[in-house]
Amino acid sequence: MASASKSSHAWLITLILAVLGLIGAQAVLYMSYLYTPVQITPGTLWVGEPDGGSPINLYESYRIFFIHLPSAYATALCCLLCLVGGVLWLLTKQDKWEALIVSASEVGLVTGAMVLLTGTLWADYAWGSGRIGSGWNWEPRLTTMLILWLAFAALLVLRQSMDTPRQRSVMTAVYGILLGPLYPLVSKAIEIGQTSHPRSFSDLLSAPEIATTKHIASVGVTLAFMALVALRFQTNRIGQQIQQERAA
Amino acid sequence: MNAPVANRPSAIGALSALFAREIRVELRTKSLLTSMGLFALLCIVIVGLGVRGISSNETYHRFVLAMLWVCTMFAAVVGLNRAAVSDQRKQFFSALMILPHDPALVYFVRLASTLVFLLATQAIMIVVAVPLLKLDFFDQPLMLAVVPLADLGILAPGVLLSSGTSRVRGGEALLTIALLPVTVPVFLGATGVTDALQAGLGARGALPYVLLLGICAAMFTAMGLLLYGRLNEG
Repeated sequence: MASASKSSHAWLITLILAVLGLIGAQAVLYMSYLYTPVQITPGTLWVGEPDGGSPINLYESYRIFFIHLPSAYATALCCLLCLVGGVLWLLTKQDKWEALIVSASEVGLVTGAMVLLTGTLWADYAWGSGRIGSGWNWEPRLTTMLILWLAFAALLVLRQSMDTPRQRSVMTAVYGILLGPLYPLVSKAIEIGQTSHPRSFSDLLSAPEIATTKHIASVGVTLAFMALVALRFQTNRIGQQIQQERAA
Repeated sequence: MNAPVANRPSAIGALSALFAREIRVELRTKSLLTSMGLFALLCIVIVGLGVRGISSNETYHRFVLAMLWVCTMFAAVVGLNRAAVSDQRKQFFSALMILPHDPALVYFVRLASTLVFLLATQAIMIVVAVPLLKLDFFDQPLMLAVVPLADLGILAPGVLLSSGTSRVRGGEALLTIALLPVTVPVFLGATGVTDALQAGLGARGALPYVLLLGICAAMFTAMGLLLYGRLNEG
């Protein structure tokens, strides 16, 4: 009875997160095309000067940041959830923490791919020749993000390869903990060596419409991704229960 | 009449006995050093062939030094795989885990012994690379000083993960997939130090990378000591 009540509470939280996330994502779509300035006058909005180059005028391309930035925040949260889930699994051995790590790494794969794709598309325009792939220059932020994405994939592959449920759970938890420190590296990568990635968006955010949209996007889109984590968590929990019943 | 109570060895006694056993077994079989050393030598030959056309001296040195770190990472994976699989096959690992001491001790011994073998492999690599690839490590002592730090950063998560991956089929490939993303910060630090020294920035220029290596080595070793027992219990 108590477990049914707990389960319905978890579904209610997932539903609330999903509704908020959907509303947030819709609001961001609306605001990024209809609320923020249609055309940015050349010379008014700039991003930080890339190493050795001139400042870049973003024109319309800046709109991609309203997806790129929240996707990066969601990836960071997924990384944190893997770390927290790993520690809690080792302390309590409860299946729900394993489900959390798996859900976070699955969604981390999606959000990481979105960060990489939107970032590369923007970079093709910003410092590449405009041709697809020309913006990929192996600078530290791009490369470390790709590595984090590969680490999420490695966690899922490693987990699938384990022979027994016990090995699978413990390996998932240990790798979740090892994966945790990778996001601070991605975050600090722009301070290591030469980088093309913008260091500051202060000029861009000086326009109030853009700043407001960015803040709403940060919350709305991140909530949408967290709703996805919650939904995957619920389905993974159901999967675990089915496996336990089959084994019994 | 009571049965004689077996003397429980002290942690230091157990540690030195296990470490001596690792070294003795390796000196007798030479399986790790042979496979790691041969792998590293093959890599040097392949790198040498690949860099023939590079005319810029700076590009050549930066590329070759980065490639030597890649060789080191893969040589470490070869060594870790061999050690873990051999222990599993002889069921030595299970025997180690029932020692009346914290499993962190077993982790520490395995880490220390693999570090010794990797350093020996790198000594061979340096001896071969200096004349063949026309590198000079000895005018930059800091470059040599960071080697153990970077090795520790690679081996600390490696020893931990290899104890898990060696139990499943295809574990050798799994270790590579699992270990490389985690050790990227170490690779970034190691190549950063060699790059900074090669560019003539000196110790001051290399300091942020040395710090990164130090943080990685300390963090991964601490994680290994804490998690090894958990990963291998039961």
